[in-house]
Amino acid sequence: MPFAWKAAGITYNRYLTVAARAVRRSLKDDKRLVAERRGETDLRFTKWTNGKQGEPRSVVEANQAAMVEAAGGGQSA
Amino acid sequence: MLSRAARPALRAVATRPIAPNAATFATLREIEGRLKSIRNIEKITNTMKIVASTKLNRAQRAMQDSRVYGNTSNEVFKSAETKPLEGEGRKKLIVVCSSDKGLCGGVHSGLSRYIRRRALEDSNFDLVIIGEKCKAQLSRTNAQAIQLSFSGAGKDVPTFSDAQAIADQIVLLPGDYSDIEIVYNKFINATSYEPATVEAFSEEAIAASANFAAFEVDEELLGNLREYALANSLYWALCEGHACEISARRNAMDNASKNAGEMINKYQILFNRTRQAVITGELVEIITGATASEDM
Repeated sequence: MPFAWKAAGITYNRYLTVAARAVRRSLKDDKRLVAERRGETDLRFTKWTNGKQGEPRSVVEANQAAMVEAAGGGQSA
Repeated sequence: MLSRAARPALRAVATRPIAPNAATFATLREIEGRLKSIRNIEKITNTMKIVASTKLNRAQRAMQDSRVYGNTSNEVFKSAETKPLEGEGRKKLIVVCSSDKGLCGGVHSGLSRYIRRRALEDSNFDLVIIGEKCKAQLSRTNAQAIQLSFSGAGKDVPTFSDAQAIADQIVLLPGDYSDIEIVYNKFINATSYEPATVEAFSEEAIAASANFAAFEVDEELLGNLREYALANSLYWALCEGHACEISARRNAMDNASKNAGEMINKYQILFNRTRQAVITGELVEIITGATASEDM
């Protein structure tokens, strides 16, 4: 694998999100405030099994949790 | 909202058009109260219309940009002549792009109807639903097919990070799908829209496409391309669906305000007539009483 982030179990989209956040944070103040609003999401998602709705969870939190898990797994392996 | 609220009043008035004198005062007050409530409803729908009109410009600009963006993203697949895999027995994944809010005409039910029609023809697919409205509608008929549902996407103009987060969750789904189809409302003009689909291909489909060799891409990068293309297509679909919703809401609220205006006119005339009738009735009573007592 040529990419370190791929080896750590991060998807391309997550990699892009992290990169975009870094770019937004390094902007000047006036532009940064406008740009950071584009990066916010308050999406919630729900998993369905056999036609039953599960618990709603925040996408951002779930993604972060999955990332931490993947990173932890990558280090220990 | 409007029709539901106003109907009891119509019925109440229709059942006793000319009430005896004692009741006339009550109907007068009834009509007055009804008039007031319709005026309030008109105010609300009018405000919603104005809000939707101001949002519409921004939504349409975002839609045009995203359309160019999505088309450019799909240019690769067009020139590679990528076709969806003809996998027998493998499920398709259909992503439905609606939103959380109602009061915008048939935007959401149009999508739900499209899915139901598809389910009649060939029900070998799973559903991912974005938005509460379609979730509520489809959970009644196609609950078994639903894998994931998202909410909170359509509040403002959709952002690319929304699309990325959704794409991420879709990629993580355990099922093995032949390809992903995104269903959204295609914006035709300010008054019409129709359900349309964009394809997001699976890795095998991309690798099997006819002109794929011309691009000289490493096999390893295909997964990235696929995830990124899925996010691009989702972003396009979300933006276009959002613009449709806003413009449909503007139209719906415009119609509702017009109807409320008509009803206000009708009730105003009814109110005036009833008031005159009450006054005339009272005058007649007074005059007859006076003449009767004069004669005595």
